[in-house]
Amino acid sequence: MTLLADKDERFKNLFGKTAVFTLLAAIGIGLAFLWAGEKKDAFTAKSPIYFVADSGEDLSIGIPVKFSGFKIGKLNTLTLDEHGLVQVEVSIETKYLKLIRQDAVMSLKKEGVIGDGVLEISRGSEDKPILADGNKVRFERASGLEQTVADIKDRILPILDDVHHTLHDPNGDVRQTLQNLREFSAEMRDTRERMDRVLNSVDANLNNEVTPLLHSLRLSAENAETMSTKLNQELPALLNKADGSMENLRMTSEIIKNTVQRSAPQLPAILGETRETLDMTRGVIGDTQEVIDSLSTHWPLKGVVPVPETGPVKMDSHD
Amino acid sequence: MTRLFILLLTGILAACGSTPATHPPQALEQAQAADKDARRALRSGELLRAKNNFAKTLALQESLDDSAGAATTLINLATVTHQLHDDEAALTWLDKILLEKTQIYPPESRLTAAFRKAVILTNLARLNEADSTLQLSEAMCEKQCILRFGIEALRARLLLLQGDAEGALALALAVSKEDKADQEEQANALRIVAAAEEKLAHYASALQHYQAALEKDRSLDLSARIGEDLNGMARTSSQLGRNQEAAVYARRAVLVNESYSQRVMTMGE
Repeated sequence: MTLLADKDERFKNLFGKTAVFTLLAAIGIGLAFLWAGEKKDAFTAKSPIYFVADSGEDLSIGIPVKFSGFKIGKLNTLTLDEHGLVQVEVSIETKYLKLIRQDAVMSLKKEGVIGDGVLEISRGSEDKPILADGNKVRFERASGLEQTVADIKDRILPILDDVHHTLHDPNGDVRQTLQNLREFSAEMRDTRERMDRVLNSVDANLNNEVTPLLHSLRLSAENAETMSTKLNQELPALLNKADGSMENLRMTSEIIKNTVQRSAPQLPAILGETRETLDMTRGVIGDTQEVIDSLSTHWPLKGVVPVPETGPVKMDSHD
Repeated sequence: MTRLFILLLTGILAACGSTPATHPPQALEQAQAADKDARRALRSGELLRAKNNFAKTLALQESLDDSAGAATTLINLATVTHQLHDDEAALTWLDKILLEKTQIYPPESRLTAAFRKAVILTNLARLNEADSTLQLSEAMCEKQCILRFGIEALRARLLLLQGDAEGALALALAVSKEDKADQEEQANALRIVAAAEEKLAHYASALQHYQAALEKDRSLDLSARIGEDLNGMARTSSQLGRNQEAAVYARRAVLVNESYSQRVMTMGE
């Protein structure tokens, strides 16, 4: 007689049902492990490769090993040997070993400038044998930011020392140049004061001397023009008088006539000279006018000179 | 060293303070200088020198293909030649603009040339030709053209010469009251008004208008026209029976005309 009577229909084959459920769960768990293992490369064949580092700085278990930018393995173990050197074992996927030669170099680099450490293995020479399981490779540290800073520091410090020395040397060029500049500045101040005096003098001269000079020039031009006009007016009368005198002389005396005849050929020359003088006078007037015109186009006179007229001259309906 | 520095600084200051000299082509500079000299000569009454310099200006402008400048100089040459009483030559200069078929000269120059030709033809009493030339300038002048009051005054003068005293009176009266017209044209219009009224035997108002024209001409210092005004006043005063006044006006007219002739002779005309 059974202690517990299994009368409910739902409890029939309970053992079988439980077994199936447990089996399915076990299969599921197993598949999950398989999937995780696959993802973690647990089923990928790996080969150990070794190298020796001078220190374990920046090296840690699990840091990736990369080849041409792809992760092909990771650092497995770090051990300090009896010489104080660090023995390192990395595991590299076996399928990639054929790409790497025995003279390949393992470099410790930083991802980015200040990122985590990464081991980068180079390809090696084509003529060397393929890297094999358990081989040893050479190790080096790539210069990171700190190294770069240290390098720069080593280079800059001497320069800064030099600059400091140059700046503070009393007999150095900089000190001497500053001294010269200070002296030059003092001279400039003096020069400026002199310039002020000169400019004041120039200004006064412009007001006191140039304006009367221009006025005088204009007056001279007007006078010369008046003289020229007078000469133009009086010359025909003078010539008429000369002609009349010649006629009188011719009528008065034969002797004087001969004299006049000798003098007469000189008259064209005299007339020519007179004309030349007139031309020269006109030239001088023109030059004077040109000077005035030229001056009138320049500061400070240009503002007070009227604009020259253009366009047709005036003529109205009754002209 | 300091002196050199001051000298340099003064030079720099002068260079900064003054406008940099521009250098137009030499022929253009010469043309401008000749034109300037011609105008100066014209102002001082040296008409022959003005004419020669305008001719020199024209030659240079033509060599530079400066048609606008050449048109202005042609008009100036015609004006000076007219003042030298060589009206045929003056008309020839103006015809160089008016008969040019390629329209190289600006319209305003053509208008000015037509107007001045009409004035000269009117002075020469070639009324039919003057009429047709004035019509040409009227056609070219739009309502706001700068010469419109001069053209209207000339039209009034022409009407008077053609015997239409009433038409001349109406037109000239309108111009004389136009504030925008030049003082010269207002004076001309007043003289035409007075002459038309004289012709129409409206002597009292003619005398008044001659008086008004005289005042304007006196303010403009136009001696020849002052003489004309005084002669008109003498005639109208005489017609009004004011013989004493008429004699005074006539004597003044003679004096003014004599002094004007003397001045013209002094200037070498």
